Amino acid sequence: MTEDRLSTIFAALADPTRRAILARLADGEATVSELAEPFSISLPAISRHLKVLEHAGLISRSRSAQWRSNRLEPGPLREATEWMERYRHFWDVNLTRLDAHLKRLQEGPSS
Amino acid sequence: MTELIINRIFDAPRELVYRAFADPDQLARWFGPVGWSVPRDSIDMDVRPGGHQRYTMVNDAEPTQAVTIEATYHEVVPHELLDGYATAPDGTTMSLRLEFHDEGGKTRLVVRQGPFTDEVAEMTRQGWGSSFTKLDDCIATH
Repeated sequence: MTEDRLSTIFAALADPTRRAILARLADGEATVSELAEPFSISLPAISRHLKVLEHAGLISRSRSAQWRSNRLEPGPLREATEWMERYRHFWDVNLTRLDAHLKRLQEGPSS
Repeated sequence: MTELIINRIFDAPRELVYRAFADPDQLARWFGPVGWSVPRDSIDMDVRPGGHQRYTMVNDAEPTQAVTIEATYHEVVPHELLDGYATAPDGTTMSLRLEFHDEGGKTRLVVRQGPFTDEVAEMTRQGWGSSFTKLDDCIATH
């Protein structure tokens, strides 16, 4: 995964309306009008959010009959989570070293 | 979930914990993943708002493997807070915030790290909506 792609994912996740849309799609596929229902914003505005989510790979959109259905794609969310885990591991190890360093500092007056 | 948050208690006064991050002589003695060192002479830091920091992590077994991190401090409160942005060689820019909290002689360190984009920065200021809890569950089950 390139970092640019990760930035696109995080940027897409940065909007509360888009997160609410994703949370809704976690329950199953939905059409644009179904997604728009809980919000006091227009269908075109919802469509713009869906485009951002689609561009980030967070959702896919299919057309069945005349209804366009939107579906959550878990892959990019997993990538975002893996990024977090990589740094979590880095800090776990790093801070364990810091702990040892602070112990050495406080134990030996000569250290 | 767009920000990594780590909480850790150290059995040391916070001046000492802060100094471990803000004093290059100290940083060189512990920082880096296991098997990597940060040579003292690779560290250059100017700990004040707008000041720059640069250091290189060198692989102990294979010294040709080295990663230089460039950072800029945004907010500095001595013994309390180090907040800034870091850029890795691959171009990733991350926000990094280190908070040092006094817990009766011990120190609680809070590390907050996230990919840094203008939108994310704005979002971080606004805080996350609760809608995300459900999304986290969704990720966990996939």
